[in-house]
Amino acid sequence: MFFNSLSFAIFLPIVFLFYWFIFAKNKTTQNAVLIVASYYFYSCWDWRFLFLLVFSTLLDYFSAIMMENSTTDKKRKLWLWLTIGINLGFLGVFKYYDFFAQSFADLLQGFGFHTNPVLLKLILPVGISFYTFHGLSYVIDIYYKRITAERNFIDYSLFVSYFPLLVAGPIERATHLLPQVKVKRHFDLEKAKEGVYQIIWGLVKKVVIADSCATYANAVFDHYESMNSLSLALGAVYFAFQIYGDFSGYSDIALGTSKLFGIDLLKNFNYPYFSRDIAEFWRRWHISLSSWFRDYLYIPLGGSQGGMWMKVRNTFIIFLVSGFWHGANWTYIVWGLINAIYFLPLLLQNKNRSNMGEIVMGWDIGSLKTILNILGTFALSTLAWIFFRAKSLTEAIGYLQRMFTDFHFESQYLNNERYNFELLLLVFVFVGVEWFNRSKVEPLSGKASWIKVTLAIMALLALGVYSDYKEFIYFQF
Amino acid sequence: MKVFFLFVGKIMVVLLLSAFALDLGYSYVYSKSTTRNKIENILNGEPKEFDVIMLGSSRANNHFVPQLFIEKGLKAYNYGMSGSRLQESALVLQLMLSKKYDIKNIILEVDLNINTEGYSDGTRARFMPYLKSNETVANYYGEIIPEFQSLYYLPFYRYIQYDSQIGFREMVFAAIHKSSASVLNEGFYALQGEGLNMQYDLTKYTPKKNKDYELIKKLCNNNGINLIVVSTPMCEHVKGINYFEAIKNVYPEVHNYENVVTEDKYFSTCGHMNEAGARVFTAKIIEDFFPTKAK
Repeated sequence: MFFNSLSFAIFLPIVFLFYWFIFAKNKTTQNAVLIVASYYFYSCWDWRFLFLLVFSTLLDYFSAIMMENSTTDKKRKLWLWLTIGINLGFLGVFKYYDFFAQSFADLLQGFGFHTNPVLLKLILPVGISFYTFHGLSYVIDIYYKRITAERNFIDYSLFVSYFPLLVAGPIERATHLLPQVKVKRHFDLEKAKEGVYQIIWGLVKKVVIADSCATYANAVFDHYESMNSLSLALGAVYFAFQIYGDFSGYSDIALGTSKLFGIDLLKNFNYPYFSRDIAEFWRRWHISLSSWFRDYLYIPLGGSQGGMWMKVRNTFIIFLVSGFWHGANWTYIVWGLINAIYFLPLLLQNKNRSNMGEIVMGWDIGSLKTILNILGTFALSTLAWIFFRAKSLTEAIGYLQRMFTDFHFESQYLNNERYNFELLLLVFVFVGVEWFNRSKVEPLSGKASWIKVTLAIMALLALGVYSDYKEFIYFQF
Repeated sequence: MKVFFLFVGKIMVVLLLSAFALDLGYSYVYSKSTTRNKIENILNGEPKEFDVIMLGSSRANNHFVPQLFIEKGLKAYNYGMSGSRLQESALVLQLMLSKKYDIKNIILEVDLNINTEGYSDGTRARFMPYLKSNETVANYYGEIIPEFQSLYYLPFYRYIQYDSQIGFREMVFAAIHKSSASVLNEGFYALQGEGLNMQYDLTKYTPKKNKDYELIKKLCNNNGINLIVVSTPMCEHVKGINYFEAIKNVYPEVHNYENVVTEDKYFSTCGHMNEAGARVFTAKIIEDFFPTKAK
């Protein structure tokens, strides 16, 4: 059940009515409705993987209590590592086993040993990377005594399985979400309206921007050998907007949906393509994952406490792990590596936190510099996306090589029966709308909201891509 | 909560009104367009008289050269459409008859399209703007499309369902009367190049009785139109070439022209001749079926 499907459009109002009218008595009944809805939602993807969700919930719930009840640090550590081991074990088997087996076989082949690795070829359970990290943050927080273990199983189950965030995040924190599910929610009109605006804008990002860009990006990437430099550059730009529209659109719908139930989720995107350097980009892109890696990997590894060498080492580790988190393919690892390399000069010059404030524009040289920095950062991230989108490293390198050596910049008719430049106007309009609303969560609320909502709905109807349906990219992770 | 329901209700009203407005706008634009494809050319243009027209898929569209008929003094037009099946060809013929076209001969390409009673999404999409305004289109699809009610009654749904063919981009082109290559050259679209993808496997296909073909036959019979049914050439590297003879077992009236052009230089791809091949093939058709008509 996709967020942009008819079935979700039926499912959501039904859950809403049950939640606010039939089971609104107390927080337990409210939570119970959301748990049932969440399990139904997940079973619509593949009911066979419900056991993984239940197992993950039980494991983290009981381990946390055992950890808290432990009288010695040794026992606490044992419970922590046992839970981490089992959680990552599941993730490893389902997501990474085949990759490691094949890579090992390829390595042996390089030394002249021929092997036939046993590959499991398992279907990746949807959302496994998200709810695994979600649960891990909880047990790690318990271990470090940042929070106390949740004893109410219903509340904890909802924390893990809450359907708006179940399949593709945001990766929540117990400190943020659990307190909200532990109290009865009262209907808040303004919050619910914000939620509706955010859902509509999320749909625009997904159906109008991401899916339109996808038809062009696919046409270029799938036939990159016959594309000229202009098409390849535009293909990369289209993919940059595809993945942004797709994932931030999904996040907007998730956050908006959750607001309808009176629950706030963590912000996942903050206009990342308006970043002035790569460090800022990573503070604005997939924020819940970036901050997860910062809090649960970078800082435990020593963070920036152990001098420059330690900082550089830890930065490379989190970028590589972040890349690998996305998928079992060398392309993701190299994508992570490239971003680490982009980050390095800022780190060495201690400039990685120099663009923390809001972007303020005026008619001066400083503003021009800001615009150039934004364009430069966008160009760098777009080049890195080529590795993220390519099916293999060979394809990514071939793509880049051709882009920088072909030197033909004429318009080209693509496989999707469109010219390579045709979508640029839509992309520019989208960038303009985002730019002028960058201080807001979404551009529809505020003054003249009905006009803006009407335009958004008309854009959805007239410019949306429906016949060539595309799943949300991050569902595969 | 009441205020919220009112808010959501207003959004629903905006959605519905927007869909109505867009439906009206798009349908109006498509009702005035004649330059984008052959279907709107028939529906929105004046009725015409033809000595001969061609119907079928891309293997008609790329293979019959109307200009050669015209040079012989025959009024001709190629109504073949890339991707279309006999289901769409039958509807094109029905539309022409309903518009009182005067047609003496039809050359119908029947070969690869006879093995299923399927339809072409891409060609079907071109009829959709006229679903509500044209009774022939409505009646035809009313009987064969399972989701006809949704397409007919839900405002703008048909434009969403077929957005890549009749969506915003195509509507804009229709509004500014941008010409499409499909209606130029009397409907003939010449392919260039030679010798690409010169393999084809026909072993998985079996010609069968086809109700759409039967309908075309019936329409021609009822309207006094001479129907000439031909199979068109494929390259020599086809696996299961006896498929063409098998067509004759099902429909003996089909003339097998599969092997009248064989050299690779006449083929753009194995299933489609280039312009030179199309001219050789059309000349042969004219020689066999229209030998006496002089300029």
